[in-house]
Amino acid sequence: MKWLGNVLVSPGEGGVYGERTLEGYRVWDPYRSKLAALYTLGGGIELTPEIRVLYLGAANGTTASHVADYVETVYAVEFAPRPMQDLLEVARRRRNIVPIMADASRPEEYAPFMEAVDLVYQDVAQPNQVEIAERNLAFLKPGGHLILMLKTRSVDVRRDPAEVLAEARAGLERRLDVADVRWLDPYHQDHTAIVCSRRG
Amino acid sequence: MLQRYWFGDVDEEGCRAAGTDPAALAERAAALRTGMDSFVPIDWEVARDCGVVRTREEYVDLLRSVCTTLARKKIALSYQGRDVELLQMVRMLDELDNVINLLQERAAEWYQVTNPSFSRKYRSLPAKKMLGIIRKGARGGLSDAAEEIDRLAGTRSRLMREVSARADEVMPNTSALIGGLVAARLLSKAGGLPALARMPGSTIQVLGSERALFSHLRGGTPPPKHGIIFQHRRVHNAPKPVRGRVARVLAAKLAIAARLDYYRGEAVPEFLKDAQARIDEAGVEAS
Repeated sequence: MKWLGNVLVSPGEGGVYGERTLEGYRVWDPYRSKLAALYTLGGGIELTPEIRVLYLGAANGTTASHVADYVETVYAVEFAPRPMQDLLEVARRRRNIVPIMADASRPEEYAPFMEAVDLVYQDVAQPNQVEIAERNLAFLKPGGHLILMLKTRSVDVRRDPAEVLAEARAGLERRLDVADVRWLDPYHQDHTAIVCSRRG
Repeated sequence: MLQRYWFGDVDEEGCRAAGTDPAALAERAAALRTGMDSFVPIDWEVARDCGVVRTREEYVDLLRSVCTTLARKKIALSYQGRDVELLQMVRMLDELDNVINLLQERAAEWYQVTNPSFSRKYRSLPAKKMLGIIRKGARGGLSDAAEEIDRLAGTRSRLMREVSARADEVMPNTSALIGGLVAARLLSKAGGLPALARMPGSTIQVLGSERALFSHLRGGTPPPKHGIIFQHRRVHNAPKPVRGRVARVLAAKLAIAARLDYYRGEAVPEFLKDAQARIDEAGVEAS
């Protein structure tokens, strides 16, 4: 992946959401994108030109557009109509984004469009985030990776984020190997990135 | 094992392609349901061998146009509900309230500076009267602004009637219980009729008092008795000792009303009669 000094950037056509450009590259801001925060903090899975990604909770497609700059194909799943309209516009300009309007917790709705992917990236504001991840493992190749952006506040605002994380981690370890866990401070509060790999 | 994919059906014997027209493929794909237990992810080369596409690029392109067509349809469908526009109408109404209040306050501040005799006494006048005084007394920008605020107020009251009428039509049962305006505000807070219809009464009761609710859940403070439904006269006119009970009973009936509105879409007189009686009964203080 491309770094200019310590600024993460991605190659591709700019002007997706008013992002800055630097030497012709699009700046990928860790304060806006949780995935960029994870990379900036030294974690994450290297995005390479041959990998295929399933992106759950693509929203307006800002982070998805950066991911698409690096990888072969992005399957971008989003459920809400308003952000979907923006995502469709992003997908129109990037030929490797497949926009799917569906509920990430109901993979049977979009399974007929899915091939096996190397990376599942999940960023959804739902209380049952771990369960959603589990249901989507059917699309992940053995040895492939899952990056789960755990929004502890979406799971339960009343509980201590660390406790929520411990429970999520235990849930994921039923079927995955947890490789790395990082809090996204100072970029995002009460968010943790959990990087897992699927047993081969 | 037969696998049904967006481009066709595949089993041990081979593959039956479903054509290459994105619109037709989208229509077919919309009806597909997959059991996740037996699901095998697509190998795009099957689509190539099937004759649907020739290259990986073509595969992704065709898939994209099918998915985009499907998404467009789903978006259109989700905006089609009569409640969707009502939602925007209420939100506009509430924003207008905010804006009018802000502007009015500023106009009064300004006028007070130019006119020392404009004291607190005038401030407690009804807004319309106060604006009239400012309009006549002031000159230039301030007078123009006052006129503009007046016009906004007119827009607001017309919109309010419109909201009320639309709510009566979209959610007849709920509106009959608490009035169109408050019903519409509940709808806006819930995020739509389907969402409101799926809420329990206890949630409806405290919609709009999230701050008090979460401060209660975090510990310490007493729970809120009512949120938006406080705006309904039977709640805010109720004597304090029974206000919580009225709010609770009303909210419970609203939950039923919202479901009737969503799933039946018409007023149900028998239900309304019983519900109204029950709510009135809750407001009677025990002697």
